[in-house]
Amino acid sequence: MGELRQIAIYGKGGIGKSTTTQNLTAGLCEHGKKVMVVGCDPKADSTRLLLGGLAQKTVLDTIREEGEDISLDRIMKEGFGGTKCVESGGPEPGVGCAGRGIITSINMLENLGAYTDDLDYVFYDVLGDVVCGGFAMPIREGKAKEIYIVASGEMMALYAANNISKGIQRYAKTGGVRLGGIICNSRNVDREMDLLRAFSKELGTKLLYFVPRNNVVQHAEIHKKTVIEYNPGSSQAQEYRNLAQAVIDNKDFVIPTPMTQERLEEILMEYGMMDMADDYRI
Amino acid sequence: MAKLLDKQRYKCALGAMQTVQAITRAIPILHSGPGCAQKLSDSTGGSGYFSPNIFPCTSINEKDVVFGGVKKLHSTIDNALKVIDADLYVVLTGCIPEIVGDDTQEVVSEFDRISQQERFEEAGGDPGKFVYKPLIYASTAGFKGNNYKGHEQIIDAITDQYLKRSDDRQKGLVNIWADVPYQDLFWLGNIRELEKLLSEIGLIPNTIFGYNRGIENIDKIPHAEFNLLVSPWVSVRNMKKMEKKLGIPYLHYPTLPIGAYETSKFLREVGAFAGVDEQKIQKVIEEHENYYYYLIERYADLFLENRVINKEFSVIADAQYALGITKFLANDLGLIPAKQFITDDTPKEYQAAVREEFKKLNYGLQADAVFETDSYRIHNEIREHDYHGYPLILGSYYEKELTESLKGNYLNIAWPVQDKVVFDDFYAGYTGGIRLIEDIYTVAVQRFN
Repeated sequence: MGELRQIAIYGKGGIGKSTTTQNLTAGLCEHGKKVMVVGCDPKADSTRLLLGGLAQKTVLDTIREEGEDISLDRIMKEGFGGTKCVESGGPEPGVGCAGRGIITSINMLENLGAYTDDLDYVFYDVLGDVVCGGFAMPIREGKAKEIYIVASGEMMALYAANNISKGIQRYAKTGGVRLGGIICNSRNVDREMDLLRAFSKELGTKLLYFVPRNNVVQHAEIHKKTVIEYNPGSSQAQEYRNLAQAVIDNKDFVIPTPMTQERLEEILMEYGMMDMADDYRI
Repeated sequence: MAKLLDKQRYKCALGAMQTVQAITRAIPILHSGPGCAQKLSDSTGGSGYFSPNIFPCTSINEKDVVFGGVKKLHSTIDNALKVIDADLYVVLTGCIPEIVGDDTQEVVSEFDRISQQERFEEAGGDPGKFVYKPLIYASTAGFKGNNYKGHEQIIDAITDQYLKRSDDRQKGLVNIWADVPYQDLFWLGNIRELEKLLSEIGLIPNTIFGYNRGIENIDKIPHAEFNLLVSPWVSVRNMKKMEKKLGIPYLHYPTLPIGAYETSKFLREVGAFAGVDEQKIQKVIEEHENYYYYLIERYADLFLENRVINKEFSVIADAQYALGITKFLANDLGLIPAKQFITDDTPKEYQAAVREEFKKLNYGLQADAVFETDSYRIHNEIREHDYHGYPLILGSYYEKELTESLKGNYLNIAWPVQDKVVFDDFYAGYTGGIRLIEDIYTVAVQRFN
């Protein structure tokens, strides 16, 4: 057992953070790693595939209904491959402060002793953009030191990734948090890998792994399973195992260098279109 | 670099709970953390039918931050209406619910609608038996500004949510508005003296603060001929709002009249605005001035022979007292203004107009007034200035030690106040001017006796 690696996964809403995190987690489990996944999204859907459903009660639901005097097993469930699964949860849409909710529940996890010595990895699956201080909680106060951003070749995914890098840069200056790379969850857009490589380079990091698009992911999701559990022999299951290996082996951690909007658009112009893309005939 | 503000002389906007408290039988319902009201209720003279110790408060905690505090607010209002017999309930929000985004306005307006309906039904639908309990809301988050602005929020809330326009105007009825209750040590005495002066020239004053005033006076507001605002800047926006919503014109008299010169000028200006016969005003003025100068003459020996009050003075106070006292000491006592310090964080939009007032002194004098909230800088400037003798310093308690170190004469006239008790003493008007002279020379004669 090595040192505990705490990893935060950020990225544009709907990009596939939760899917990627859970499949990556399943891959790490197959490598014999002990993993805890902390969902930091009020929608509480970050551990569905590992647990085989959304049955879990969130930390904040439990606090709301039962107060703060609770035991760890009330909020932590065991999922696929012995993973520990926690959902922070949040207030109802439109009321309260979800950001503070994240802070409250992570503090709660600490107080209850969730961070045990046998863990190799803790993943924080954080919703969409880093909208306020609360959603930066996983990368504050020396928690997650490693960040991966899930992106695709789509313009808004890259825009969000660049924006998130600004947040990382801020905390990197005062704390030890570093960007470990970009994980591409492919959308099959033009020259996606070239674009993501160029984008990652401009950010001062690397494209850690390119996860191809495959419909088996959708099938597995419908069955409330990770691909590794649902169809362990599929090529996509191997891709996630490779991603897990890439994370295990990764030693390149940087302070990102976010770019201007103009520069981002230049990169898109340069790499984001096939040569013939505009030459479109019926 | 972060700026350190040393010893500011105001509280946060939630301090406006004291404005509510100054309205007899009105009670604030606080939607805030548990410590806010405790910190803000430090003034004396705050006990009585309602005191800060019984102000209902949601005392919100971390759970309310995460899930929103509206449920707790709802139950707090509900219980306050049940157990507290008041004429006006004012919900005030602190920082936390405003940051979290609690929709306080919605809770209050829905509550008001439902609870009024319930009470109406309890009274058997008889309007004669039904007691309307007004419930309004003011956003007084501390980050929105200080208690001067909070005070304005309360007056605006009353105007927006309670008052209705009326075409039934009472001849001669004038609403008087002045500075902030409790923050202004002399608020009660001052407003009563202003009422008295207006009565003497035949007008009917209406004020909402203090003994024997309250909801009935609030109800009279829309029937007034005009609003009279006696303040350099506080409540100017309230006057504009009332003009727009209630159709009440206003006269803005920026200087708190202290002593004969300014008070006579004040009466003439108010009288002219109200259309009062000039001779009638002149008669009132003469009576007051005769007595005023009789007193001044009797004590001319003191002014002439006392070697302790030297020529130069500084006032360190909010715009109201900095301006009112500077004009009084220059115009009536013939002292020379050194630099004057305005400490109430006067909004930028009003600063030029306030500064201009300091140039309107008699004998060709002009006072240099600065807007400064940092006591460290204020004290440095006072220390560096040559007052040509013992400095006369009128300010808050923060100036006591400084003035002692300069062997100056010191009078505590602005918040915070630590060395005197004021029930209903005042500095406004002719009598107020005499009181201020008494206070200043009481300090002077104690020096070598």
